[in-house]
Amino acid sequence: MATAKELPDTAIMSEAGVIQWAEQGMLYDISEMYGPEDPKPLDSLAFKYADKTVAYSAANEILLMYYNKDMFDAAGVAYPPAVAEEAWTWDEFVEASKKLTLDKNGKTPNDADFDKNNITQYGCMVENLTWQLEVWALSNGGGFYSEDGSSLAIGEASSIEAIQRVADLYLKDNVAPLSSGLTDDGVQRSLIAGTTAMTTNGAWNIGTSLASAREEGLNYGVAVLPYMEEKVTICTGGPNVVFNQTEHPEEAMEWLKWYAREENNWENLISTGIWMPTLDSYYTDEEMTKKWLENPNFPEYEEAKSVLVDYAKDYTQSTAWYYVNNTNDFNELLGSVLGDVWTGKITVEQAITDNLPALEDAFAGNF
Amino acid sequence: MMKQRQKEHKLSTAAKREARTAYLCLTPALCGLTFITYLPLLAVLVLSFFRWKGLTAPTFNGFDNYIRLFTTDPYFKDSVKVTIYFSILAVAGSMIYSLVVAMLLNRKIPARGFFRVVFYMPYILPAAAVYIGWSWLYEANFGLFNYILKSIGINSIMFLNDSDYIVPSLALIAVWLSGNLIVIFLAGLQNVPRIYHEAAEIDGANSFQRFIHVTLPSMSPIIFYNLIMSLITNMQIVVPALALTSGGPGNSSMFMTYLMYRYAFRSNQIGYACAISFVFFFLIAIFTLILFATSRGWIFYEGGDD
Repeated sequence: MATAKELPDTAIMSEAGVIQWAEQGMLYDISEMYGPEDPKPLDSLAFKYADKTVAYSAANEILLMYYNKDMFDAAGVAYPPAVAEEAWTWDEFVEASKKLTLDKNGKTPNDADFDKNNITQYGCMVENLTWQLEVWALSNGGGFYSEDGSSLAIGEASSIEAIQRVADLYLKDNVAPLSSGLTDDGVQRSLIAGTTAMTTNGAWNIGTSLASAREEGLNYGVAVLPYMEEKVTICTGGPNVVFNQTEHPEEAMEWLKWYAREENNWENLISTGIWMPTLDSYYTDEEMTKKWLENPNFPEYEEAKSVLVDYAKDYTQSTAWYYVNNTNDFNELLGSVLGDVWTGKITVEQAITDNLPALEDAFAGNF
Repeated sequence: MMKQRQKEHKLSTAAKREARTAYLCLTPALCGLTFITYLPLLAVLVLSFFRWKGLTAPTFNGFDNYIRLFTTDPYFKDSVKVTIYFSILAVAGSMIYSLVVAMLLNRKIPARGFFRVVFYMPYILPAAAVYIGWSWLYEANFGLFNYILKSIGINSIMFLNDSDYIVPSLALIAVWLSGNLIVIFLAGLQNVPRIYHEAAEIDGANSFQRFIHVTLPSMSPIIFYNLIMSLITNMQIVVPALALTSGGPGNSSMFMTYLMYRYAFRSNQIGYACAISFVFFFLIAIFTLILFATSRGWIFYEGGDD
C-alpha cells in the first residue's frame, strides 16, 4: 500500500515500526494535534522522531507486579508495596521470594535441606520477554540505549548486571521457574497456573486474563516493581498515526483525536482493564480516576490507584521504541543472544560482550 | 525401437485431435503453475538483488544481500545448520517409526481399524494446537515428562529451554506427526507380492531375513517416495518456531523458513528475505538431487527399467 501510495489516512500500527516509518518520511507530524484547550495524553505516550511527535499511543500500558494474596497469607509474608515510595529493593524482593518458594516437603531455600529439584511453588517469575528486560536495565542505572537514544547502553556493566540478576532468580536464588522469554504467556504460566506467588508483566493482563482468573478464585493484587538503583517502570501502547500521503491531514487528526477518546473505547477496552486511559486527566483528577478504577474488574481501589495512577504518572519512562529506530531487529537479536543465559550455559556478560558488534549493527539499522 | 518412434511422429487425425484435447485440458493447470508458482519464483529471484523495505520503491543492490547472508548475518549459518540437523533427525525418525508401525498395523491384530485411525490422527490435528499441547508435556518446571523424570529420581530436562535439547525434542514431535507416511507404507506393504514371501519361507528364511530380502526391496519405491516427501516437509518446518520458540533459545530453532518470515514480515526486509528463500530453494534442491542420484543403487522397480 505504501509503495502504491494507497495508504489510508490514519492507522494503528506496531510500536516497533513507528520510528522506521517516520525515518522513511511516511508519517505526518502530529505535534499540533492537541491544541492548548484540549485534554492531552500523558507525555510518555508520544512517539518522537527528530523532535516531532509522529504518533500517540491508543492506550497506556505500564509494567507492574501481580501477586497471589493467598500465597502471601499462607507464608505469613507482608504484601509487596503498592506505593512507589515504599517499593521493595531487589534484595528485599529476592528475600520475600525465598520465603514464598516451597519444595515438595514445604521447605524454603532458606532451609538447609531444601530440595531445589522438587519445587512445587515458586516465589516469583520476572518476565524476561526481551523488550520487558529494558525496565531492569533502566532500574539499575543502565538501559538498552543512552538516554537520548543515540547510542547503545546494553554493554554497560549496570545493564549487564541487571539482566544477570533476573537470570539468577532461577539459576542461583532458586526462587523462579525456568523461563526463556520466548512466548508471551508469562502471567498464565505463573500466577494463573497457581505455581508462582509474584510475576511482573503489562497492565493489559488485568483485562485479558486476570479478571476471569479472579472469577475462578484467584485472589490477586497489584504492586509496584521492585527496584535496583532507581524506581522506574516503562510504558507502551499501540500507536495511532497519520500517514503523510493523506490529502486531509486536518480531518485525519480530528478523527484520530475523536477516535482515541476514552469514551469510545470504554466498554470493551478500558473498563475491562485491557487498556489504561491515555489522557492525563485520568491520572490527575480523582473523579475521573474513580470512574475508571472503581470497577469490579480491577483490584481494590486504593491499591489499583496507587499502582495504575500514581506510579504510572510519576515513575514511567517510555519504552525505547518511542524514540529509537530498529528496536525490532535489536530486540530480536538480543533475545537470541541471551538464549543460553537463562539455563546458565553462559553469563549475560559473555553473551553481550561477544555479540556487541552485531548488536551495534542491529541498532544502526544495518540489518 | 527407432522405427516405432518415427511412426509415433506421424500422428493420425484421431491422435491429433486427442493431443489437442489433452493440451486444452492441461491449459488451466499450466496457467496456475505459471502464474502462482513459476512467475512468483522468478520475482523472488529478481527481488533478491534489491534492497526493499516495502515502504518505498526497491533499489538494486547487486549481490549485497547474498554477501551479507554469507558473511555478517548473525542468524543465517546457525539457521542452515539447525534446519539440516532437524531434517535428518525428523526424516530418519519418522521413516523408521512409520515403517515399524505400518508393519504392525499390517498384521491381523484385533481392532486393527481403530489403531490405524489412532496412528493417523496426529497428522490431521491442527499443527499449532499440537505444538502447544506438546509444550505442556515438555514444560521445564511442571511439565508431565519432567514430573515423570523427577518421580523416578532423574533431574529435569529443559526440553524446549535448552539449546542442546530443543531440536531433538521438536524432531520427536515431527515423528509423532508422521501419520501420512504410515498410510502410504501400509498401502505399499499390502502390495508386496505374497508369492515372494511364500517362496522365501519354503527356502527356510526367517521373518527377519524375509523383511530384509523381500519386504524392503519390494517397498523401496515407496520408501523413496516417503523419503523425498518427508525431507521436503521437514526442511520447511516453521510452526514450532512460530508457536513456541521464536527461533530460540539462542538460534537453536531458527529454522530457515522462520528466518525468512522474520526478515520479510517483522523486519520488512523483503529483498533480503527473498535471497534467503532462494538459497533455501537450492538447499532443498541439492538434498533432493542427492537422494535421486543415490536412488538408482537401491530402488527396485518390479516392472524393471524401460
